Amino acid sequence: MGAFLALGLFQGAVYGLLAVGIVLVYKAKRVFNFAQGEFGGVAAFTAFAIVVGAGLPYWVGVVGGLAAAVAMGLIVERVIVRPLESSSRTIMLVALVGVALFTIAIIVLLGQPIPRVMPPLISGGGVNILGAGILPQQLILMAVLAVLAAAMAWFFKTDMGLAVLASSQDTRAAQVVGISPVAVSRLVWGMAALLGGIAGLLYAPVGIFTPGFMTLTMLVPAFAAAVLGGMTSLPGAFIGGLAIGVVQNLGIYYLGQQLKVPGAAELGVFALLMLVLLIRPQGLLGKEA
Amino acid sequence: MALLEVENLRAGYGSVPVLHGVSLNVEEGSNAVLLGLNGAGKSTTLMTLAGLLPATGGEIRYDGKPLTGSPGARVRAGIVLVPEGRLVFPALTVKQNLRLGAWTIRRDARRVRRNLQEVYQIFPRLEERADQTAGTLSGGEQQMLAIGRGMMSSPRLLLIDEASLGLSPKLTEQVFAAVKLINQRGVTVLMVEQNAGVLAQADTAFVMQQGRVTITGSGSETLADDVVRAAYLGV
Repeated sequence: MGAFLALGLFQGAVYGLLAVGIVLVYKAKRVFNFAQGEFGGVAAFTAFAIVVGAGLPYWVGVVGGLAAAVAMGLIVERVIVRPLESSSRTIMLVALVGVALFTIAIIVLLGQPIPRVMPPLISGGGVNILGAGILPQQLILMAVLAVLAAAMAWFFKTDMGLAVLASSQDTRAAQVVGISPVAVSRLVWGMAALLGGIAGLLYAPVGIFTPGFMTLTMLVPAFAAAVLGGMTSLPGAFIGGLAIGVVQNLGIYYLGQQLKVPGAAELGVFALLMLVLLIRPQGLLGKEA
Repeated sequence: MALLEVENLRAGYGSVPVLHGVSLNVEEGSNAVLLGLNGAGKSTTLMTLAGLLPATGGEIRYDGKPLTGSPGARVRAGIVLVPEGRLVFPALTVKQNLRLGAWTIRRDARRVRRNLQEVYQIFPRLEERADQTAGTLSGGEQQMLAIGRGMMSSPRLLLIDEASLGLSPKLTEQVFAAVKLINQRGVTVLMVEQNAGVLAQADTAFVMQQGRVTITGSGSETLADDVVRAAYLGV
């Protein structure tokens, strides 16, 4: 059971990272970013091409992958989001779904639709913590998360971070004090893409990965995590991600392995989502209205 | 010398024109009031001056030069709008709101600190409430915060849109007194109002009707005008 819990926390943290990116964009633009998963996809495939394809050091792959993700975020902001600024949110949402599908298609064209194996940053056996075998990759994840959480907490206390919060609370008022909406928009999409990229780089080495792996397997749980957290809370989105990861894997353990219920993971997630929405419709850390 | 010269200004929303040629001059250091009923185009005038709406005709001169550029560029030039309905950042604290007011001068920490002290001096209430979120303030306090936020970037010209909206007569008087104080400290003020009571402290008054300035005069002259008295004071 310890192994399921550890796996759940690990998967949940990746959902959480995507969910924080989704909430960041939602707060600023009131739009569901369906392209969030592919920031991770682009980062993973770029890193793979650098590390496995070109045989360069791992850190070059990490930097290259994250740079590719951020570049994609800025391009999406400039080419898709800004021109559609004044159109309906539905049009923007459909456009972002288009971005995800387009990106997957590009990856399939450039590479091949074959499964790939990304080596982990540190290979070798796991360490035993509380009866659960923890892989080095999972320890790296914990370190990355601690650094990210501290960086985000610091950022939202700076003038720039306050400007992002202010802009998402009232764009007009932010303009009145001289904050450029374009600069904030770029910053938000760049940050969301960076978070998505980190999620992709952490998740790719876990198993085999194929084009679209982030969108197909991670995006829906990440949206559930964002909703669970209240859609407007960054810590809430991350906690929501952890909760979904854990519930999925405990569902597999209790319902799936012991009671032989098919689709146990999904069942657990839906039950959790329904329960939270019934008891706290505003989400775990969301504010009403 | 006129700090702000507006000549035949035209603007509107989409294809709906609201301003049909507004002309007014605001002297440096003066307290000017733009009086008008709902829909006269007062807010539209201020939004166009602040760069939030494009002008479709006419000219705005500020400090002797044609005024163009983004809202941010105009804040840097010293033109700051205190918007109608206050528009504070509700989930941020009073202090964070004020910090963002200093956005354009944020790299000058000393000036930011000095301006913050000045705002707290004018509105001691804001210092008491410094760590409270702005959404929990009363309407009067939010108006003080909106004006205080406007003061944080060391403006030369403060455009105040209906500061008295929704406030009790007593609070309205307090807010007007604070604006008078700000003006006495050397900031040129252009206030938009429906409340003719403010004319008592105005150096210059403009009355707006249907997208045009129809009466221009000193504050006391305008307050004595029959048309103004009938329309705004009901006498």
